[in-house]
Amino acid sequence: MLQMNGYAVNAETPLELLTDYLTPNELFFVRSHWIPRTPNLSRWRLTVDGEVKTPVSLSLADLRKLPVTEVTCVLQCAGNGRALYTPVLPGVQWRYGAVGNARWRGVRVRDVLQLAGVKDSAKHLHLFGSDDPPRKVPPFHRSVELAKAMDDAILAYEMNGVKLPAEHGAPLRLVVPGWAGDHWMKWLVRLSPQAESQRGFYMETAYRYPLQPGAAGVAFKPEEMSPVTELFVKSNVTTAPKKAKAGTTYDIRGFAFSGAPDIAKVEVSDDDGATWNEAQLDARHSPYAWRLWSYRWTPRAAGTARVMVRATDSRDRVQPRDATWNQSGYLYNAWHTVDIEVTA
Amino acid sequence: MKRALVLLCAALLLLAAAKKAPRFNASLPTVGTRFGTLPLGKGRAQTEAACYACHSADLLLQQRLTEKQWTAAVEKMIRWGAEVKDADKPVVIAYLAKNFGPENKFVPRKTRPIGY
Ligand code: HEC
Repeated sequence: MLQMNGYAVNAETPLELLTDYLTPNELFFVRSHWIPRTPNLSRWRLTVDGEVKTPVSLSLADLRKLPVTEVTCVLQCAGNGRALYTPVLPGVQWRYGAVGNARWRGVRVRDVLQLAGVKDSAKHLHLFGSDDPPRKVPPFHRSVELAKAMDDAILAYEMNGVKLPAEHGAPLRLVVPGWAGDHWMKWLVRLSPQAESQRGFYMETAYRYPLQPGAAGVAFKPEEMSPVTELFVKSNVTTAPKKAKAGTTYDIRGFAFSGAPDIAKVEVSDDDGATWNEAQLDARHSPYAWRLWSYRWTPRAAGTARVMVRATDSRDRVQPRDATWNQSGYLYNAWHTVDIEVTA
Repeated sequence: MKRALVLLCAALLLLAAAKKAPRFNASLPTVGTRFGTLPLGKGRAQTEAACYACHSADLLLQQRLTEKQWTAAVEKMIRWGAEVKDADKPVVIAYLAKNFGPENKFVPRKTRPIGY
C-alpha cells in the first residue's frame, strides 16, 4: 500500500495491484478522517432516532436477525485522482488507487429503519460514526438522501466474506452502491432520519462539485455547486507492458465503473483518441460493481506509444478527455493514458 | 500530611483523566506514532510541534503548495485547533513553502496496510 497519512490512516492501492474482480481486503484503500473509538461489541448499539415513530437501539445480534443481503460494488473516494488536477490542490494527494470493488454483506437500511417507522417528514438520513475529532476540527457528520438510502443502501458487517476490518468501519458501515465514498460512513453508531440535510463543514464546504465546468484554478461559489453523489464513468489501465516490439501482440488490462448500474463498453486508442477499438469485457458483473476488461494491442511502429482508455456506461455517458477542475479535487475521471516504449 | 493530600489529589486527577480519555481503536495507529520525518531546516521543530497532534509527516510531505496556499492551509489548521504561536506562524509557513512547494517531487512510502 502507499501511505498517504499515518494517523488517521489514509492509504491507497498501487494501481498495478488492482487486477482482481474482488479487491482483497488487505489491498483495499483506506480513508479515515479521524480515529474511531474501540467499540465494546457486547455493549455496542446502533441508535435510530429523529423523524421516526419509535426510536430504537439495536445490538449486532438484533441486526443479524434481520434478512441478510449482499451487494458487490465499487467504493471510490470522492477525492481519488486529486493529485492529477492542475492547478495543484491541498488535501490527500490520491492518484489512482483510492478505489476498490468488494462484496458487502449485511442488512438493508430500509429494513432497519422500518423497525423505527420513518415519518413522511424525513427526507435525509443523518449518519454518525464513533470517530469524533479532536479540538475544533469539524466532526465528519454526513447525511445521504433518504430515497437513495431506502432504495439500495445496506449496513455492512462483512467485507469479502470476513468480518468488516477495523480500518473499513467495524462493526458496521454504510454501503451506498454507485455513490462516492463520502456517503459510506464507517464505525456507525447512530442513524437519524431528518427533514433537512446535515449541516457543517463536511456537507456545506466539502464534498461539493460544480454544476457547470469553469476555468481551471478559479474557485466555484457555493451556489455554483451541489453535493457529490453518483460516481462518474471511469476506467483505468492496471496492466500494460513497459516496453514492446512493433508487430507483437500484448495484453492490456484494467477496470471500468460508473455511478450508472453498468458499463456498456470500454475502448482503447493509441492515436490520441482519433480512433477507438473496443476492449473485451469480463463476464463477471453486477450493478455498480466494476467491470474488468482486456485488450489485445499490437504496436505498429517504433517510438513512444501513448495508449489511452475510455469507458461508456449504461446511460450512454462517455468518459471525458479532461476532468472538470474543482477546488477540492473531486471525481477525477479523465482518460487514463500509459506510455509504452516500442522498438522496431 | 500535606504531601499525602497532594499525592491523593494528583491520583484522583489522573484517574479522572484516564476515565475521560477516549479509547481509540488499538488496531489503528494512534496519535503521535512516528511515521517518517520532516526534512531538516529552520521551522521544522515548530512545524512538528504544531502539526503532529493530528496527522503524521506523510500528509505534509505529499503537498505541492504555493506560499499563498500554505498560508491558507496553516490558517485553516489554526482555526481547527493547531497551536502555533503568532511569532512562529511565518516560520512554519516559510518552512512548508520551501520544502513542499510546487516543485516538490513526492513518492508515497510503501507500507503494509494497517491491521495485517
Ligand atoms: C487539531 C488537529 C489538527 C492539527 C493540530 C493540524 N491539522 Fe491539518 N488537518 C486536520 C484534519 C482533521 C484534516 C483533514 C483530514 C481529512 O479530512 O482527511 C487536516 C488536513 C490538513 C491538510 C490537507 C488539506 C486539507 O485542508 O484537508 C494539510 C495540508 C494540513 N492539514 C496541514 C497541517 C499543518 C501544516 C499543520 C500544523 C501547522 C496541521 N495541519 C495541524 C487536523 C489538524
